[in-house]
Amino acid sequence: MFGLDYSWLGDPVYQRWLVDGVWVTLQLALVSSLAAVAIGLVGALGQTLRLWWLDACIELFVEIFRNTPPLLQMLFFYFTLTQIGFTVTDPVTGLQHPLLSAFVSAAISLSLFGGALCIEAFRSGLDAVPKATLEAARSLGYTRLGLFRRVQAPIAARVCLPSLTNILTNLFKTTSQASVITVPELMYAAGQVYSDTFRTLEMMLMVLLVYVTLVSLLAWALTLAERLLAYPGYGKGF
Amino acid sequence: MLTDTRYQRRKRLALLAILGAAIAWIAFDALLGGSAEWARVISRLPLLLTGSGPAWSIQGGFAFNVLMGMLSMAIATLLGLLMGIALLARNAWLRRGAFMIMNFLRNSPWIVLLFAMLYLLPHRVELFGTTLSFSPFFKAVVGLSLPTAANFAEIIRGAVGSVHSGQWESARSLGYGTAQIYRQVILPQALRRMIPGWMNLYALLMIATALATVTGVQEVVTLLRTTLAMESETALVYFYLTVLLMFFLYCYPIALLARRLENRTKGDAI
Repeated sequence: MFGLDYSWLGDPVYQRWLVDGVWVTLQLALVSSLAAVAIGLVGALGQTLRLWWLDACIELFVEIFRNTPPLLQMLFFYFTLTQIGFTVTDPVTGLQHPLLSAFVSAAISLSLFGGALCIEAFRSGLDAVPKATLEAARSLGYTRLGLFRRVQAPIAARVCLPSLTNILTNLFKTTSQASVITVPELMYAAGQVYSDTFRTLEMMLMVLLVYVTLVSLLAWALTLAERLLAYPGYGKGF
Repeated sequence: MLTDTRYQRRKRLALLAILGAAIAWIAFDALLGGSAEWARVISRLPLLLTGSGPAWSIQGGFAFNVLMGMLSMAIATLLGLLMGIALLARNAWLRRGAFMIMNFLRNSPWIVLLFAMLYLLPHRVELFGTTLSFSPFFKAVVGLSLPTAANFAEIIRGAVGSVHSGQWESARSLGYGTAQIYRQVILPQALRRMIPGWMNLYALLMIATALATVTGVQEVVTLLRTTLAMESETALVYFYLTVLLMFFLYCYPIALLARRLENRTKGDAI
């Protein structure tokens, strides 16, 4: 069809490479998403403490990671962590190995990038809780912790779910850039296959389709969660 | 509890202190032998910025990133506008089609789209007897503008949708037609809300131009990597920091301005 040749897809070797690639992509996405959300929570909660020095540090972190290319961040972390940083000596062969593999470097850099985006999203979610609601809760005698737990956090979580969906899908898409630092994920596997078969266009169209399917599934699941959790009047509850 | 202005002032002071500490650390490092590395970076800086050693002409480098960003943004604005109009169309099929295309482009990774464009677009096209050749630069611009256009369409849709539905109803009850409502009620408000999103999108696109390295464009990351192949490993960190700083200095002011505009339009109208 359209002069595209997909006969190589029948080869079990290529199939295994690609399936392994998808598997690594999923692992990388999962690890960095969880870490990013954790960093986001810590950062956003840190900012609610209203300590000016902590606030300044967090803001600097966010702005640095938001305003530089994730590709460069990944390259930077990969080379600094593996080459200059820590190495372990293999007791058997006596060779120096980098302690942190490409996968770990990619996971760290993606977590920090996603974490910076999450801090920003969670913070604006917390800001979006109406002042009147907070004052009403305070006048009902909520303590500061109770107020946060029972009023501010539930509302803020629902307000920032749509932007969290954006961030997590974005992070999933960004995992494809880890192929540049030789993490054996889907893009990398695709590169190996097409350097064997020379079917570049076919390969790229297929990879595009796989990514779109996976990201769409993720977006769909998160949107479903949004709808199920919605409060009337906040976010999707209108 | 500090008052808000005093808090902000202290925070700004803390930021300045961190900046000062960073400069002091760089100076300290330079005394310990880092100055030789910085000298290397400075000697390569014209190459990284303009793509030519003596910086007499622009053949690549960060200038190419800026150029790619601007061209892609221009194309993406036009395409996104068309897609956004289609998303708001009354014809359900047009709307559904536009929605599908938008979702496809938004859900595909930029780097994969760039690769796909690299192989999908022909090397040259015969058009009315003249031969147009598609350079990697042109392909990168197309590849970058597609997801940007989809994101812009979503911004348009979001901005129009953010105008309260009560305004539609009241305008209709006053006898306005659809075109009139768009022109006189919805768009003046929606446009104000679109601009910060559009600027953020430009900053995002600028950051994504680093990905054009995979299409073989001589932009700053490509040049950085070829330069580093010739340099010693100790100079590596200094080079990376320099290029990261280039992107930061370009994108941060844009993001800052976008946020200021966003805050200004946040309160108005429901």
